[in-house]
Amino acid sequence: MPVVTKDMIPLIVKTGASGRAHGDAAPSFQVGDKVRAKNFNPPTHTRLPRYVRGKVGTIVMDHGVFVTPDTAAHGLGEHPQHVYNVAFGGDELWGGNASPKDKVYIDLWDDYLEAVAP
Amino acid sequence: MNGVHDLGGTHGHGPIAPPAEEPIFAHDWERRMFALFVPAFGGGHFNVDEFRHAIERMDPVHYLHGTYYEHWHHAIETLLIEKGAITREELDAKIRQLKGEQ
Repeated sequence: MPVVTKDMIPLIVKTGASGRAHGDAAPSFQVGDKVRAKNFNPPTHTRLPRYVRGKVGTIVMDHGVFVTPDTAAHGLGEHPQHVYNVAFGGDELWGGNASPKDKVYIDLWDDYLEAVAP
Repeated sequence: MNGVHDLGGTHGHGPIAPPAEEPIFAHDWERRMFALFVPAFGGGHFNVDEFRHAIERMDPVHYLHGTYYEHWHHAIETLLIEKGAITREELDAKIRQLKGEQ
């Protein structure tokens, strides 16, 4: 068990709890790709919001490689993978009269997404 | 986990209207909760994902009533007990002591 000493406190407070992983992983998607968020409903931890499941969005940014929260929250390892910022249109998320100009940008893990034919 | 924490897209919670000059800590005990997180996390008792999931596992009514740092408080207690750093009995005894019950 690591011991936290007084001199370590400023660094911990400053950097917080970054989930950036040290390992490498191949990205499944590129910026500009259309992707569909998978529809899964685990009783365990996930960072895929319910309202985005099954919806189609566009990859806006590749943040790099991060720890997978779904496994790390349950002692099942870090499983490093790419995290992307994905834009979803308001009309796609909410239907009805919601505007496609309204966008919701969500950071999503590679495993949460599947390819959509362009 | 399809829990009460996943509030995106739900109605009826009112507007998001933070005060213009919101203090970092609304109460003094919140300051202590932030300070407690640092050695508990930095000491390797839990990772950030376990911490978030502990908050998601809160009783739904308590979650919605509870403030941000109350969620932290709950998660720190839950995880320190689950990881064996403290026992529920030790925590309960300390609470009784602070209440002046013994």
